[in-house]
Amino acid sequence: MALGPFSKQDHLQITTLGLEFAVSEILGVWAGFWADKKLGSFPWGVIAGAAAGFALGFYQILRASRQMTLDNAKLKKAEHTDGRR
Amino acid sequence: MDVVEIISHHILDHDWGITLGGFRLPITTHTVTLFAVSLVLLFGLHWISLGRKSRTGRLLTTLSEEYVAFIRDGMVLPNMGEEGRRFLPYFCTLFLFVLFCALAGLIPNVKTATSNISVTAALALCSGGLILYCGLKFHGFIGFLKGFVPSGTPGWLVPLLFPLEVLSLIIKVCVLAIRLFANMLSGHMVLICLLLIIFIVGQMHIAAGAGAFLPAMALELFMTCLELLVAFLQAYVFTLLTSIFAGSVIHTH
Repeated sequence: MALGPFSKQDHLQITTLGLEFAVSEILGVWAGFWADKKLGSFPWGVIAGAAAGFALGFYQILRASRQMTLDNAKLKKAEHTDGRR
Repeated sequence: MDVVEIISHHILDHDWGITLGGFRLPITTHTVTLFAVSLVLLFGLHWISLGRKSRTGRLLTTLSEEYVAFIRDGMVLPNMGEEGRRFLPYFCTLFLFVLFCALAGLIPNVKTATSNISVTAALALCSGGLILYCGLKFHGFIGFLKGFVPSGTPGWLVPLLFPLEVLSLIIKVCVLAIRLFANMLSGHMVLICLLLIIFIVGQMHIAAGAGAFLPAMALELFMTCLELLVAFLQAYVFTLLTSIFAGSVIHTH
């Protein structure tokens, strides 16, 4: 079942992206906090970890959107070749 | 009335385990539920597989065939392709296990095992293991590692993208565990909070408590129905996401 330009799987992955972003951020802050405790560099580790977590979360969103666009283009091409559209 | 204690008692696991020769055997409400669900599924599905000639037996056999076809045609084959066919038993087991654990929580005095992060983490680790196995099985060690780098990536970006991709996969597995845990836990917290409304309002005035009874129970009934839906939905989501992730590892870009 196609829901707009996206498939059911795409929709599910989109709903997962928010949670992935949050988990990336939390992991980044946790790693930064851990590094700060080891090195005594508070708050720079937390700040760097938060930035890294943010970057990772954003990267996941960009990659997912690129993948969905590519899949959609492939599907349209296949449908065009088959004469379904 | 200690509201926090009541909510904690409703949500948290209770350990009445025993110590045998210095070795702690933790028998908890969640482990008992897990074993009960496993036994019910094991014996129930075995009974169905015997193919009884009775009307109920035939009905259950048809239902189980439809169920397997639903998992195969709705999740495994579209996301993993023909390569996923051999993993069909895992997905059938996973769906039923998550579903029955959630449904068991709706029975009075039985806890929802999937509202424990350790249980969902173990389930997510199994799925993570499957994803890893698929990658290694179909691409080999080097091919699996190569699959982490998107095609067309400039060479100088590879050292940056590779750890990001590995972390992304780990986060996906973490998200599987957290999503199921959070949904199950929050549903049960809402249920107990709605019931507590009656007693909290009743402490102010007994008539107010009696007045709050009907609306609270109506909401409770609605939320219980919603929990029933959530049980099916989360089992579906967990299984579908596992098949999508495993499929993305098999069919790398």
